[in-house]
Amino acid sequence: MIARCIRVFLLGLLVATQLSCGKKAADEGPVVRFWQFWDVATIQPLVDEFMRQNPGVRVEVEQLTWKSGLEKIQAAVASGTQPDLCELGSTWLPRFSYEGVLEDLTPVYETERDNFLMWESAIWKGRVYGLPWVQGSRVLFINRDLFRRAGLNPDQPPRTWPELLEASRKVSGLGDGVYGFGQNIGERYVLFKKYMAFAWGNGGEVLDSTGAVVLNSAANVEALEYYLTLAPFSLQEKQEVLDQYFKTGRLGMQISGAWNLKNYALEAPGLDYTVALVPRPAENRGTHASFAGAEMLVVFKGSKQRDAALKLALFLQSYGPARTLSLAEKSVFPAARAAMNDSTFTSDPRVRVFVEQSLTSRTPPPHPGWNEIEDVIDRAVEEAMYGRRAPRWCLDDAARQVAEITARFERS
Amino acid sequence: MRLRALPAPVWLLTPWAVVYGAFFVFPFVFSFVLGFLDYNPLNVANTRFVGLDHAARLFTDPAFHGALRNTLLFVLGTVPLTTALALVLAWCLRGPMPLKGVLKAAMFLPSILSIVVIALLFKLVYAPGGALNEALATVGIPGHGWLTDPRTALPAIMAMDVWAAVGYYALVLHAAFTSIPESLYEAADLEGAGAWATFRHVTFPMLKPAIGFVLVINAIRSFQVFVEVLVMTQGGPLGSTNTMVMYLYETAFSRLDYGYASVIAYAVFILSGIFSIFALRRFRSETGSRGVVA
Repeated sequence: MIARCIRVFLLGLLVATQLSCGKKAADEGPVVRFWQFWDVATIQPLVDEFMRQNPGVRVEVEQLTWKSGLEKIQAAVASGTQPDLCELGSTWLPRFSYEGVLEDLTPVYETERDNFLMWESAIWKGRVYGLPWVQGSRVLFINRDLFRRAGLNPDQPPRTWPELLEASRKVSGLGDGVYGFGQNIGERYVLFKKYMAFAWGNGGEVLDSTGAVVLNSAANVEALEYYLTLAPFSLQEKQEVLDQYFKTGRLGMQISGAWNLKNYALEAPGLDYTVALVPRPAENRGTHASFAGAEMLVVFKGSKQRDAALKLALFLQSYGPARTLSLAEKSVFPAARAAMNDSTFTSDPRVRVFVEQSLTSRTPPPHPGWNEIEDVIDRAVEEAMYGRRAPRWCLDDAARQVAEITARFERS
Repeated sequence: MRLRALPAPVWLLTPWAVVYGAFFVFPFVFSFVLGFLDYNPLNVANTRFVGLDHAARLFTDPAFHGALRNTLLFVLGTVPLTTALALVLAWCLRGPMPLKGVLKAAMFLPSILSIVVIALLFKLVYAPGGALNEALATVGIPGHGWLTDPRTALPAIMAMDVWAAVGYYALVLHAAFTSIPESLYEAADLEGAGAWATFRHVTFPMLKPAIGFVLVINAIRSFQVFVEVLVMTQGGPLGSTNTMVMYLYETAFSRLDYGYASVIAYAVFILSGIFSIFALRRFRSETGSRGVVA
């Protein structure tokens, strides 16, 4: 009864904005409502091509913003006015999967699994609820000029933790306001991505394959201890400040994403930099792991245009459209494995590193409480960086908090 | 026919009433109801009544306690300081002076800027190579990460807030200054009152309603501090700037715990109300109907 009342109220609030669209749709046949976060000018030609290939299917594209998109999707689901097809970030998807509002796309996964990367965040309790569309890994950005000045060979970027530490120390030794490495601090949703690159590379996990919390494992503690050894040679600041320092030649290295390829070309065309895989613990140990954000396509349960929406999702996910989107935006890469063999991506040495990095990159573990878990990890890393407590204690406490979160979701 | 018989004020007020009802009264009531429910917008069908569970959580939730402490620090740190500075500025503006109009316009300028714009500007000011550190460097003081140090992040936002708000309140108090009858000052002068006695027994009592207004409006705004925090620190570092509304926002939109978020909203409302009642009583007018000091 309560749920019905709430739904009626929310429906009433949204009905005014939806009415005109609905009427138009009724007049002109089936319409697939597609909500996504990219510039419509980039997406519309792809959708037009889909409509050309599928006469009789019409698609209405709506652009969401990263600031308010999630709230809008939540409100739409609550009022039953959700779109047919929607783009969701890999950190959001698990909660939607858990709540049972998405179509089960496991049959698609079974036929497509080998053709795409980044499925992990779409899997919940053995079923698959999203299709990986595009993805972006974080890599190590290196200022070649500072490397040369510090007596380092920029063509041989650090491949291991000791090499990264040594390079940071040498670049930092240049003085005059130059820092060796950039470490994020004082901001949310970032620290986790930087720290876990080292933890994953060292064989660490947040949750093991059974869902048990292993955040305070020896591998994770060792990674955090190593991360702290970089601190004396690092600029600890927010990402925008790190970017500013890197652009102006005052930061030797930082871990960041592909959007910088576009930004640096525009804002610092003279900057001599290269990119490399995130270093592994040692040449004979660990992996070049990093964080990857993936954009997933989901079909909402109850969609009247389910088949058309799924058809559109498969079209957009396919290599051609995903490649077009990647080339237009220059900040992401197709989730399709075909990108690994596309000379467009592999001929540019910097872009090739991103493509290579995506093979060992990870998305966050698919847990519905991920937003809370990420907050806890951010806080633990930050506490260690501020020297409030020893890394082991920070991660022990964080593991306890994460266990409470996971237990809450198991109960409900 | 019967509708036409309704008096004109009803028709004239209807558009306002509809908007007010839809965007103020309805959310207010809806939020109150949500406070008793376990409500998740992605799973409305499983909404259930939980009574006072969410309210009880307020007393055991350390994150809320941190947010409450930060909010109270923000209110107690900014509201008295803003009011005192506004009073000083208004006092300085009371006599004739060159470029007074330009000065008043400059003081009002931050009020017409979006708080997002101000917050972004101050992020640049507080950045490692920003204006503040550059200014300190000229006198030999080393730079500081104002927004990345848990000890200075909240004071830095508070300082920005005082800067952004003080001009508007100074003009409000300036208007109150100009409304004080000159005859009261003449009478005080005849009685031989000095500057302090004149301020204490004439100016301050006459300004009390305006000061009360400034305190209440500023306190309500400060209890709801959110945008500045969202833009500048997102509640960090180490939760040192996590305010009640920031926590409410995270609880609702990130954790989908709308019931608990509604209770936090009401906690903000109740605290603002208590402070407002206290300030209004403390600063109610002491003048009689003829403007004579009681």
